[in-house]
Amino acid sequence: MENGMVEKATSIIKIPVTLEIPIGPQHPALHEPVLLKIYADGEEVVGVEIGTGYNHRGIEKLLENNTFYKGKFIASRVCGICNAVHENCFVRAVEYLVGMKPSPRAEYLRVLVMELERLHSHMLINAIMAEIIGFDTLFMYIMRDRELVMKAKEIVAGNRVSADFHMFNGVRRDIDDVKRDKLIDLLRRVEPRLKYYRKLFEDDPTISKRLTEIGVLKAKDVTSYGMLGPVLRGSGIKSDARAEDRYDAYNEIPFNVVVRGEGDSLARMLVRWDEALESLEMCKYILEHLPSGPAAVDERKLPRTFPAGESFARVEAPRGELTYYIQHAGGNKPYRVKVRTPSLNNIINSGFSYLGHSVADVPVILVSYDPCISCMERAIIVDLKNKVEKRATLREIAMKEVRL
Amino acid sequence: MSGTNNIEDALSSYIIGRDTVKPNRPRFHIDAGNLKSAIALLKQCLGDEALYLSNIIGVDKVAEGVIELNYFIHVVPLGNTIVIRVTVPRDKPQVSSLIDVIPGALSGECEAYDLLGVEFIGNRYLRRGFFVPVDVASRGVFPLRKDAKV
Amino acid sequence: MSIVREALKNLLSKPATIEYPKKPVPIEKDFRGRHYADLRKCTGCTLCAIECPSNCITMEKLPENAKLKHNPRGLYPNIRYMSCVFCYRCVRVCPVDAYVTTNEYRLSSVKEVFSKELTLQTLG
Repeated sequence: MENGMVEKATSIIKIPVTLEIPIGPQHPALHEPVLLKIYADGEEVVGVEIGTGYNHRGIEKLLENNTFYKGKFIASRVCGICNAVHENCFVRAVEYLVGMKPSPRAEYLRVLVMELERLHSHMLINAIMAEIIGFDTLFMYIMRDRELVMKAKEIVAGNRVSADFHMFNGVRRDIDDVKRDKLIDLLRRVEPRLKYYRKLFEDDPTISKRLTEIGVLKAKDVTSYGMLGPVLRGSGIKSDARAEDRYDAYNEIPFNVVVRGEGDSLARMLVRWDEALESLEMCKYILEHLPSGPAAVDERKLPRTFPAGESFARVEAPRGELTYYIQHAGGNKPYRVKVRTPSLNNIINSGFSYLGHSVADVPVILVSYDPCISCMERAIIVDLKNKVEKRATLREIAMKEVRL
Repeated sequence: MSGTNNIEDALSSYIIGRDTVKPNRPRFHIDAGNLKSAIALLKQCLGDEALYLSNIIGVDKVAEGVIELNYFIHVVPLGNTIVIRVTVPRDKPQVSSLIDVIPGALSGECEAYDLLGVEFIGNRYLRRGFFVPVDVASRGVFPLRKDAKV
Repeated sequence: MSIVREALKNLLSKPATIEYPKKPVPIEKDFRGRHYADLRKCTGCTLCAIECPSNCITMEKLPENAKLKHNPRGLYPNIRYMSCVFCYRCVRVCPVDAYVTTNEYRLSSVKEVFSKELTLQTLG
């Protein structure tokens, strides 16, 4: 080859090496079954595809085929960790249809359960965040103290996680003075720990170096992509269904809507800690100012059918605004129920926010949105080829006794 | 309620009917062809940071032969959710996509396409199997339609 | 958080976990645990089986030798605990409050567990 030819070249063709990295659905850093297919150029993320469908159970169709009373229990099993808000939202959507109003004591107790739930949900996601950034000691500590809140929920609702506390026109059980004192004592023990963790997230160099300036979302992007809850409030938009709709007893219980302007992962985590502290104050207020009167309803005396209509209930779940839409044509089964959980918006629309960050930041950003995939993916049927439902134990499937 | 009136004034040329979803969500019925321009106008009037698309809810009405699409738009300064309803025929459910006006429509549109079969024209990301298991999606069944066999 | 201080503190303190099978887990008295029908009250009305959200209650025939005056149809609910979600809907809808509730949570087993035996014991 002649040397002259080389000198004549005026441009070089560069082929970008884009690497496809699947993160999930099973991944040590993600606690939820979601697939993030990441296209990376070197360490930089240049494209993200979000793969879903790993956790679909057909709940919307199931709700259409069951009575409202069964639906109430199905709704509270959409998600494990935020079950009380799901049932609250479903119950309130039905109450709007009928025009029922629960007693003041029942409303206070509903808020108590929901705030305890927010408290432990926020503690959990902060613990997971600590684990993901490699701070396992903190993870263990937060999980240890979360146990106190779970105990409090057990005292109120009768179960650590699945509260099954709501019923149309009221709640299903009441608390007495002994339980109230126990609860106040538990909350008193949680409070200093929460304040300590809140301070730790703000001051500790390990955490702040890992989380500041990671996954910054501008207020404009947050609203146009429809992100909700702590993500929204971490970017300076003041929107909280509790303050806007004032459902149940939120019109009487004082609380502040926590807003931070930074919009990064740390801001979202701090919003969660501040909200947890607000929740704690609200729980204490509720226990001190619990109105007297009846709370538990007699489930035998509730109506079997509900009047036709449409209703749309919003509730502020720990992860953001949760909505239930019910269209009812009369009778005892709803015509259409639509559940829209915060994670649907927060995760599916979040693809844009990973771009430009390094691969190692992706789990951090995802966790800062508090993903809950079982919440997000509800709506499909167990439908086999011969169009019948079959039930089989895992063992039978494993032993190939059942043909799938 | 003055805020709601402002919205109603802004959209007045598109509105062909209104009612309320319980408890207090005002609902405006508009023509399916005007959907995109109406939402763009709404966004222009209120500003980028004042609203987010909360929900796209499709309801299959077999008896009337239509699919209703309710767009629930949360207006932050108003503190309430307004609803915009369009109806599309059941045998040809097509409506223009909002994805270039409000990128957050992605999740709702993908879900509505996968479960109800409403086609959002202009949304490149629509695909079957987004939520629906492959065996159901491959048979061309839209599970949330009322005539889908479960 | 200083790692040296935390390590020392934890070396000197007791573990936070409960060694479960050796020590019992403290549980509330009214925890929603195992429940079964009391045949001295049950009228065999089948309402709990209709209302159960997880369809885990089946109505079964009483044994031949047992004739109960208040139970003309001779039926009693048999709960399949493996599918039960412990929502206590059956307990609350029962018109005669026939269900006995306990806080027993240790129900895990390798074979199916039913409430049949407990219910039949109430015949005395």
